[in-house]
Amino acid sequence: MEKILFDDLSFVFDKQLILRHVNATFKAGEIHLLTGISGSGKSTLLKLIAGLLPKYGGEITTGTVSVSTAGQIGMLFQDPAMQFALDTPRHELEFTLENCQVPTAKINSRVISALRFGKVEALANQSISTLSGGQQQRVALSVVMAMRPSILLLDEPFANVDEENRQLLLAQLLKINHDYRTTIIITDHDFHGYQRLNPFVWQLRDGKLIKLLNNQKHGLLQDDRQYIKASLPPVKASPIISAANLSIKRGNKTLLTPATFSLIKNKTTLLTGPNGIGKSTLLKAIAKLVKYQGTITFDSQNIQKISPGKYYQRLGLIFQHANDQFLNVTVGEELNLSLKNGQNSYFTSQQVQRSLSELGLAGREEQVIYSLSGGQKKKLQILLMLMMGQEVLLFDEPFTGLDKESLKKVLNLITASREKYPQTLLIVSHQLNGLDGFIDYHLEFNHQQLKYCGGNS
Amino acid sequence: MNPSLKLFTVLFISLELTFTSKLWANIIIIIGCLILLIHAGFRWQQFCWLVLVPLFPAIAIFITIVLFSPSHSLFYGLVLFSRLYMYVSLGTVFTFTTNPLALARSLEQNCHLPSKYAYGVLAALNLMTKMKQAVITIRAAGQMRGVVLHWWSPTLYFKAILVALQWSDQLAQAMESHGFVEGQARTSTINIPLTVYDWLITITLIVVIQIIIIALP
Repeated sequence: MEKILFDDLSFVFDKQLILRHVNATFKAGEIHLLTGISGSGKSTLLKLIAGLLPKYGGEITTGTVSVSTAGQIGMLFQDPAMQFALDTPRHELEFTLENCQVPTAKINSRVISALRFGKVEALANQSISTLSGGQQQRVALSVVMAMRPSILLLDEPFANVDEENRQLLLAQLLKINHDYRTTIIITDHDFHGYQRLNPFVWQLRDGKLIKLLNNQKHGLLQDDRQYIKASLPPVKASPIISAANLSIKRGNKTLLTPATFSLIKNKTTLLTGPNGIGKSTLLKAIAKLVKYQGTITFDSQNIQKISPGKYYQRLGLIFQHANDQFLNVTVGEELNLSLKNGQNSYFTSQQVQRSLSELGLAGREEQVIYSLSGGQKKKLQILLMLMMGQEVLLFDEPFTGLDKESLKKVLNLITASREKYPQTLLIVSHQLNGLDGFIDYHLEFNHQQLKYCGGNS
Repeated sequence: MNPSLKLFTVLFISLELTFTSKLWANIIIIIGCLILLIHAGFRWQQFCWLVLVPLFPAIAIFITIVLFSPSHSLFYGLVLFSRLYMYVSLGTVFTFTTNPLALARSLEQNCHLPSKYAYGVLAALNLMTKMKQAVITIRAAGQMRGVVLHWWSPTLYFKAILVALQWSDQLAQAMESHGFVEGQARTSTINIPLTVYDWLITITLIVVIQIIIIALP
């Protein structure tokens, strides 16, 4: 019988006990959903099943994990950008199928069906580095599916995926589970849409893995999506950033046709739009990191005339990939740097300590940043940039990998800081839960145009 | 032409001319390369780079030989000057007319190079564009934290090395999770042919060059 068996397994990574005496069985053909707060060890569990750990770090201290399967194990990582060895989706698929020893004559048809699975046919020959985060995630999923794995491990597969594609991919997962009896294990923080997969739900807490009972499960999987209520900015609101006739391209693709809009000073604006529409690129244009046509002004001054050194004292970008934000090795070094150069008067050293324990990051000063979990990195990244205290902060998908509780704490922290030290925020997010009441205005990016939405949106 | 044989031919010619001091062979190879490049659609801006980049080292070598060597030989000065351009032209023809993926596939299939090297190098090549972007990002990230990183700042390179280390680890995991197992047999999407025609071109090229080397000064 094919199954995955954890028998009294304990696992240590970077001197920390991540899993404590875990006992669990995942039978073939079942769908499992792993839940738990950021940093609880969900990714670790998946990597243990995939055989990547302890091979690439860490140590099993008690018990065993045994995976009995005749087929392939496919794994999708949290960070989609880093799971491609080749330049285009087509080449990556070919490479993968060659590895799986698919005969030459069949490779082409398997490539096509895999591209169709993730709805990425149109992106097949584009350079992966030019794809958006959400598109990369869909390509990565296609590649994993091309392997026809008997076990499919998905680590937050929908973090950067828009709602339409999320529903589509969930339906695809259900289909392959039904057609091929694929065992699927998914980790996620946002549970809407999982109800129809009828998964077994597990909770990882304090290193222990607990299977939830049916009634607990239904409570958790209930669709509690909220809709964002935002109003239109008043006509005479004072803008801090204004764009006139702004157009942006990525490669040959036009993302934004001449658009004119402004961001209102000391308000929070949410920016939404489908995958690959150009949200990150727009933020980078405002941050002077990509070329654009037209003019962008900051406080009535053309940003091209402000030197980068001066500009970045007044405007900060919270990168989509948390790793991009860090300059040092340990958590403590990063905190010291932000304390030394930060302008935000809210963050005294006592307040920083309070915020750290609030975010569950206290006592980790000596830890190497890169060994933090995805969610922990996000929380640290946001804290570090808040401490810097630029007048304008641009957030690119800041809430991926954050569980409900963490998200609430992060939002509270931002709110508290802004009461003492007002800032203008522009936030790109697919994750809208919990943001109601936090957002003042809602800017929608679609059909190469930007538009403020009012009322219920 | 088969990419592996092309690589072999380019390396063979370069190596052979390193141990000779013939002017005409260099000049004829440079002209041959230029014709190939024009044929392959090389743009004139790229030609300018091709001329400009080796110019200063080439002139430096030329002046050293002509003015400061004991023989003051104009001929040897010209030989070394043209040799530098010969290397650069051959290298340019190779990189401009060869697809890296085709080369990796050819090395794997025709030369039976372990696939870990063929694809390892390819993956690293694909990281080059990302590395460039990463350096821009690191500098911006630095400025947003009140740290100015000049291109000579050690922190910039320290962070770049950290990023590269991270990537190498993640890349290994990515390749493995996409079914790559060291030493395990793989199939191929495209068979890179190694034909009689490929061998014929290679042998003809090498013979012609031998004749030029022997016949001309």
